Amino acid sequence: MKRRAGESFTIGDDIEIEVLEVAGTRVKLGIRAPDSMLIVRKEARITREENITAARSLDPEAVADLVHRLWRQTKITP
Amino acid sequence: MSRILTTYFGELEYADSAVFQFPYGLPGFEKERAFLFVQQPQTEPLMFLQSLGEPGLCFILLPILVADANYKIVLDAEDLAALHFPPDRQPVIGEDILCAAIVHAGDSEQAGPTANLLAPVVVNLKERIGIQVIRADTAYSHRHPIIADKEMAPCS
Repeated sequence: MKRRAGESFTIGDDIEIEVLEVAGTRVKLGIRAPDSMLIVRKEARITREENITAARSLDPEAVADLVHRLWRQTKITP
Repeated sequence: MSRILTTYFGELEYADSAVFQFPYGLPGFEKERAFLFVQQPQTEPLMFLQSLGEPGLCFILLPILVADANYKIVLDAEDLAALHFPPDRQPVIGEDILCAAIVHAGDSEQAGPTANLLAPVVVNLKERIGIQVIRADTAYSHRHPIIADKEMAPCS
């Protein structure tokens, strides 16, 4: 599918995406969707998921092991 | 002085002036707005970001330049405003800001420990305000390995 600024397309019955502006490598999009739908940048979603798993990974043994490996690595790489 | 009984450090005593405010929380933990940075000699160079609202919530942090000595970040106008910096000058890591990556210590599903270089925690050291900056570029991975493979090579 190819679209120009001012043109739009739909996904299902409830979602419409319009290309508002194209400037260089950046595209500005307008999204019309039901309020219940969360719309976030993909990086924000990745960060959210990564934060949740990272917070669960804090374990005193894992931390001690990590510190040990970090120091050993520092000695190897001057 | 105030006290908090944390899951990982036991009881922590802190001055109220040592608290860092995260006005937007962190993605996934938007309601947690107040944190302490915890450093201990035995876990250097790691740091910890301990939530004050949730005693069991604590992130492992690694200073970004330890994770990647060449790490570069440019804060956009929105991030600068959130951190109370003027829009016309980029803050310097280590002088104006603390920039650190959230570490995943590793588990059975994920091989080694990794650092999230896609979304570093950035703190205005003077104002004690922090945000998690989510980069829009793809220059850095959200699972950057922090232990080099060659570590496994036997010593000769």
